[in-house]
Amino acid sequence: MALLEEPIKEVKTIRNYINGEWVESKGEIVDVVNPAKYQTIARVPISTKTELDSAVEAAKEAFPDWRATPPVARARYLFRLKELVEENFEEVSRIQTQEHGKTIDESRGETRRGIENIEVACGIPTLMQGYYSEEIASGIDEWVIPTPLGVFGVIGPFNFPWMIPLWSAPYAVATGNCVVIKPSSEVPNSQMRLAELVEEAGFPPGVWNVVNGGRTVVNGMLDNPDIVGITFVGSTPTGRDVVYKRCGETGKRVVAQCGAKNFMTIMPDCDVDRTVAAMMTSFFGNTGQRCLSAANAVFVGASDKFYNDFMDKVVDQTSRIKIGYGLDESVQMGPVRDKAKKENILRYIESGIKEGAKLRLDGRTVKVDGDYPDTCFLGPTIFEDATPDMKIGSEEIFGPVMSVMRVKNLNEAIEISNNNPFGNGNSIFTTDGKSAREFQYSITSGNVGINIGIVAPMAFFPFSGMKDSFFGILHTQGQEAVRFFTESKVVIQRWF
Amino acid sequence: MILHTASEGISLARKLENDSAVLYEELAQRYTKDAETFLSFAKDNKKNIVQIERTYYGVITDAIEGGYAFNIDPDNYTFNTTMPKEANYNDILDKALEIEDKIIKFYSDAAEQSKSLMADVPRVFQIIAKKREARKSQLRSLADRPVA
Repeated sequence: MALLEEPIKEVKTIRNYINGEWVESKGEIVDVVNPAKYQTIARVPISTKTELDSAVEAAKEAFPDWRATPPVARARYLFRLKELVEENFEEVSRIQTQEHGKTIDESRGETRRGIENIEVACGIPTLMQGYYSEEIASGIDEWVIPTPLGVFGVIGPFNFPWMIPLWSAPYAVATGNCVVIKPSSEVPNSQMRLAELVEEAGFPPGVWNVVNGGRTVVNGMLDNPDIVGITFVGSTPTGRDVVYKRCGETGKRVVAQCGAKNFMTIMPDCDVDRTVAAMMTSFFGNTGQRCLSAANAVFVGASDKFYNDFMDKVVDQTSRIKIGYGLDESVQMGPVRDKAKKENILRYIESGIKEGAKLRLDGRTVKVDGDYPDTCFLGPTIFEDATPDMKIGSEEIFGPVMSVMRVKNLNEAIEISNNNPFGNGNSIFTTDGKSAREFQYSITSGNVGINIGIVAPMAFFPFSGMKDSFFGILHTQGQEAVRFFTESKVVIQRWF
Repeated sequence: MILHTASEGISLARKLENDSAVLYEELAQRYTKDAETFLSFAKDNKKNIVQIERTYYGVITDAIEGGYAFNIDPDNYTFNTTMPKEANYNDILDKALEIEDKIIKFYSDAAEQSKSLMADVPRVFQIIAKKREARKSQLRSLADRPVA
């Protein structure tokens, strides 16, 4: 199969999108690298606090008019945006692959997930309705008006450059708020293309702003008194110790979706072929750089024969995964996002060996399909005889590493998962309803899969999380996002 | 080379439809009495591509096994559209029927392989396979007609 055409053809310096204008930053400029080719594809500014503040100021000024725009009219901007994204579906998908490295199928899937959030937010005239009680006392009525709050900050991660800001931003603007988005400086092109489509859709200046950068912009958002709330997706240390903590101190609303260590529980009665197929995508999809990627495979009460036959299939299929540049349609796994992340994963593999896990498939040496440097590439790795107390069994690796454990019964499987500090996306593979029900009831995980490898909630459900995987109360996506971005104004009325 | 990913499967479907459309456009020029039928086939092929792409782009998400959707050897389904100049009309129609069989087999095999993995895509493959079965009847009816 031929390589699909790259959409980014020349290296340009990215500008910020502030108050409906494309503004050059005075900040330091850093390279954006395509991890498959290890080539610079763009330059992105690390914007200053002043630049962030100007975006917040623009958003604040735009807020009164935007709030006064009827929800049905606000929805029409989103309908137009959806149409424009559909028209440019392939281009925005290829941008994701070019800057992140994921396969083209994964990028198209990401584009679709983003669109689905725009679609749900288009229902804002209904989603934002309040509720009313007549005669709460004699001659007195009471009702709730969901009211927008002002300016929200949206901080995106590197692993889903297109989709994750769309878990928040469409709902924020649909409810009448204005947003300032900070994409990951590693992968800013996707959000910049989205901003171009936002501009084309005709959103009023200041409603949707994008400021590129790093810590300065994040800290600036956290400290800016005109930002009323933040949505963040990223690591647990940053989400918990910086974003959540600082939002608490400054009185901002916060959604902090953080790290994960997901357990896939495999019962001896599972459908083997379909479980193995789900494992390929769950463990190695997006090169394991997903907060919903399975990391530990826990076999419950399996006989040695069942286990060995099963693992032979897993190893066989895993070793046949084709690795290369995601714009080659035949590639099934791309590179990790950058060299430092690869080195971090390699350290985990070394630690697994050191701690006594059995290295069944070694991804440290990798055969890359095509003429690409192996700088950011890794093969999939499988450890057997892993335990929950090993680093590879307990910490988030964020790479294509499967740690396999065996336990006696379902209770033990649930216990080791629940003892892990994270609680993002855990799943069970079984044909037994009772086991599935017990798992669903007892597992402390925000997203629970029953014969589903990647427990990614649809846009009309909240993207949940528990324990160290989530800090906040309400979540992004769907109704909960609408509640997050609005305050319940309660009116009690009596006429004399 | 075996095709595995959803993207490869969709690209192969697109190629088969386009190649087959080129064939029917050529037949429409060579056999003007049935040009309308052949051109309608070519037009349907383009519609099929739109339907497949729309379905694929509509359902592809990160939660389905898009990287492992198929196990297809394209050599089993590709075909040569060159028609020998000396071939008579019935030979040509036989060749067209043979090509239709290959394309139907592709859609049937691809639907079967991806039925638990690709949401609505296998269904659209089955629908197109069925439409092409109907097309075969039309091709046969052209062959059965007395030559004017």
